[in-house]
Amino acid sequence: MFARVSIGLRETTAERIVRIALFVGLAALPALWQGQYALGLLTLMAVYAILLIGLDATVGYLGQVNLAQAALFGLGAYGTALAVQAGVSFPLALLAGIIAALLPGAALALPALRLEGPQFALSTLSFATLSVIVLNESESITNGALGLSIVRPSLFTVELDARGYYWLCLLVLFVAWWVSQILLKSRFGLSIEALRDSPTAADALGIGTLRHKVLAFAWGSALAGLAGALHALNFGYLQPAAFGYDLMVMLLLGVVFGGRRSQWGAFVGAAVVAMLPNLLSNRTLFSSFVSFGCIVTLFPIFRALISRRIPQFAVTAPAAAMALALALSLFAPNVEEWRKGIFALFLFAAVVGLPDGLAGAIASMVHRLIRFTPDPLPPASGGIRSAGISVALPLHVMKLSKSFGGVRAVDNITLDIGQDEVLGLIGPNGSGKTTFINLVSGLYAPDSGTVEIAGTRPVPGSLMSACSAGAARTFQNLQSFSGLTALESIVVCQRDGGKSEAMGWLRAVGLEEKARQRCSEISYGDLRFLEIARAIATRPRILMLDEPAAGMSKPDIERLVALVASIKRAGLPILLIEHHQDVVAELCDRVAVMDGGRLIALGTSDQIRRDPKVIEAYLGSDDEEANVEGETEVQLC
Amino acid sequence: MDATYIALAQMAVGGGLMGMAYALVAYGFQLTYAAGKAVNFGQGELVMLGAFAGISLAGTGLPYWVSVLGAMVAGAALGWLVERVAVRLALKQHNEGWILLTIIVGLFALSSVENIWGREDRAFPAPWPTGALDIFGISVTWPELAIAAGALGIMTLVELAKRYTMAGIAVQAVSADPEAAELCGVRSRSAISLSWAVSGAAAAFAGTVLGPVTTVGPTMAAALTLKAFSVAVVAGLDSGFGLLIAGIALGAAENLSGYVLGSGWREAPGLILLILALAIRPQGVFGKKIIRKV
Repeated sequence: MFARVSIGLRETTAERIVRIALFVGLAALPALWQGQYALGLLTLMAVYAILLIGLDATVGYLGQVNLAQAALFGLGAYGTALAVQAGVSFPLALLAGIIAALLPGAALALPALRLEGPQFALSTLSFATLSVIVLNESESITNGALGLSIVRPSLFTVELDARGYYWLCLLVLFVAWWVSQILLKSRFGLSIEALRDSPTAADALGIGTLRHKVLAFAWGSALAGLAGALHALNFGYLQPAAFGYDLMVMLLLGVVFGGRRSQWGAFVGAAVVAMLPNLLSNRTLFSSFVSFGCIVTLFPIFRALISRRIPQFAVTAPAAAMALALALSLFAPNVEEWRKGIFALFLFAAVVGLPDGLAGAIASMVHRLIRFTPDPLPPASGGIRSAGISVALPLHVMKLSKSFGGVRAVDNITLDIGQDEVLGLIGPNGSGKTTFINLVSGLYAPDSGTVEIAGTRPVPGSLMSACSAGAARTFQNLQSFSGLTALESIVVCQRDGGKSEAMGWLRAVGLEEKARQRCSEISYGDLRFLEIARAIATRPRILMLDEPAAGMSKPDIERLVALVASIKRAGLPILLIEHHQDVVAELCDRVAVMDGGRLIALGTSDQIRRDPKVIEAYLGSDDEEANVEGETEVQLC
Repeated sequence: MDATYIALAQMAVGGGLMGMAYALVAYGFQLTYAAGKAVNFGQGELVMLGAFAGISLAGTGLPYWVSVLGAMVAGAALGWLVERVAVRLALKQHNEGWILLTIIVGLFALSSVENIWGREDRAFPAPWPTGALDIFGISVTWPELAIAAGALGIMTLVELAKRYTMAGIAVQAVSADPEAAELCGVRSRSAISLSWAVSGAAAAFAGTVLGPVTTVGPTMAAALTLKAFSVAVVAGLDSGFGLLIAGIALGAAENLSGYVLGSGWREAPGLILLILALAIRPQGVFGKKIIRKV
């Protein structure tokens, strides 16, 4: 292959240069590509790009299929049109558009964002349908299906012509892109990505799911409104039907084809969405375009065949879709009649074949050719230390119970953890250990009983409240933020302190070297350490580790024991669920044993091993055999 | 009785009978959701395709029942195809791509229908008597009764098959735990495919009974998906016959609001109710609460 060229630039700097060049080029384009038609297309592209940057906030960053963006765009357009009819000035008309989309968007976000996946998609689809009905039927205000005509007001005494308006849209796009990028690269954006990858962990670490979701959706809606306002002032004529199902599908095409989670993707997508309908009207141009796409999709098939593998579905399906599109472009009597079908085929090929979209594919190609100078990492500072002295017990649990149906998963447990103490919690599988941690950390609300963390009582069943009281936990099944790097995973969990302190937490668990790696590329054992680093980065008063050594290799377990011992030395109390008996014996001051939801024993590791109830729980109640041996010790598994 | 009340009752009954067709399509959602935790956002297009297939088959001179069966076979094949091309890969990658892909496949189906059968609405020929029955002053037409009987019949048949045939029990096993079912020698992939085929057949059948009441055209698809999906979600994606109640309620509400507020507003109350129901009880009115596990 090619040798990678090092150009001595940081990726962010290079990206900024290319972006500014792009905008300068776009601003100069009307001088080369003249005519009203070209200006109209370019303006439309700028408007769509703003709209798609907004849509990407939900579809890309939040990872939820949002089908309401076309309707919000329409509401923004109508808001502006009505404001113009009322005679307001240009900037106020833009503001009216933003508000007309933002308010209904926020009203939808509050109930809808508690939903996931298909339910979320459905509620946004209902909202979109409802909006079009309202626009159509409120004839006294919107003039219904007949449409609404407006004349563009002047901008501070300047009468904008088509070219001036294009430059204005370009400027707005530039600002929207820039703000969006800052916003989504900030802690706020990291939080959104974290909650997409694991909402439970995001809440348990105090990031807060709902608040960030609503804000992301509101940001997307505001951009939809802004785009709608620009659209209304551009066209001067609005009809409800223009903001229905067809536009929504086009927008999805744009985001997916361009590439999710990137402003570049939104821009590329907007270019495709704006140009494609016009491409369809020129048959020769269109079929050569589709032929090119067809050839591109055939490459991976040949590559698979050359290395004698059967091509996978993800490789053959896009080629089949493009071949079908080519057949349509050559043989269909009227290509424009097949418009939706051709969009569908393109979309299908893009979703299956280019999961990262066109912009993603280009970015990975650039990365293969050019080596960028990595962003410098700040020096590590700080490290494990106690959260401060508190008089109250770190954890005080009174008569806690929880049932699922007829199963008493946790049955009347009372337990305290003292300052500087490591308490082991053991028991056979299904004895209720994880449920206990889930109750303490607020994932479940208890049926009865109370939990006190460092003297405060968190709201039952609220992960956020337990976290702000000072509880932090890891998970038995990894809940990593797979889209973030190791460093970002820490930054997003910190309550204060900057990147250099985050590096300090990574150093504490021995992951300093992997700061730039994405969690999806980090090994299983290291992810377990990263989860511990995430938890202690919230500066908790009690740390709960749910089977941290599960599935770890021997050297990793030794590393883990050393880490837990150093956390203990720093004065942070720990509740440790663990099946590795040697780990429990080495680390724990006291051990609690659960069986069938009850606490059956509590004492030092040696006391527990000789406790007859514990022996019965692990080996069954075959008394005779147990007594024959006289001195039975359980090697707790 | 007051004439207004009779008119309202008439509207409610007519809507409720239509609602049973929504329940039948929603039942298809439930089948695929149980088996593979995915639903077809293009199910309305399957209903439409089933109806058009029925019209074309009847156009060749085949008897009504044969063309209904033919439509169901076509629906089953299409249901299977949707699972194969749009759902299987995305579910293997554990992402939400299937939502997009089923929308996309539905869009392609819509475009094909527009080009093959045209954009005009067509009547669906059916051998029912033209008169109406009079029950306590409320008139009920034969095609409406056919919807109710057909929906009940299909749902009962599938529920019986689920309980008393090996294939049905295998599907239930897969919906409980696909990996465990595989370990017991059940091919989960085939079980999921089977559910999608049955779901497609149910959708196509719904098209053939809806057709004689409404007429058949490309515009019916998107609205039907939304309605059936509302019924499935409001009832709960795991609640068997709760669907019928939700379907009848939605159909009646639709007709009544169309009558009271004007025909353009027909669908609005249903949509508002849907958003509210989702916000208050995401697991559905009749559904079981999901416990988060970590």
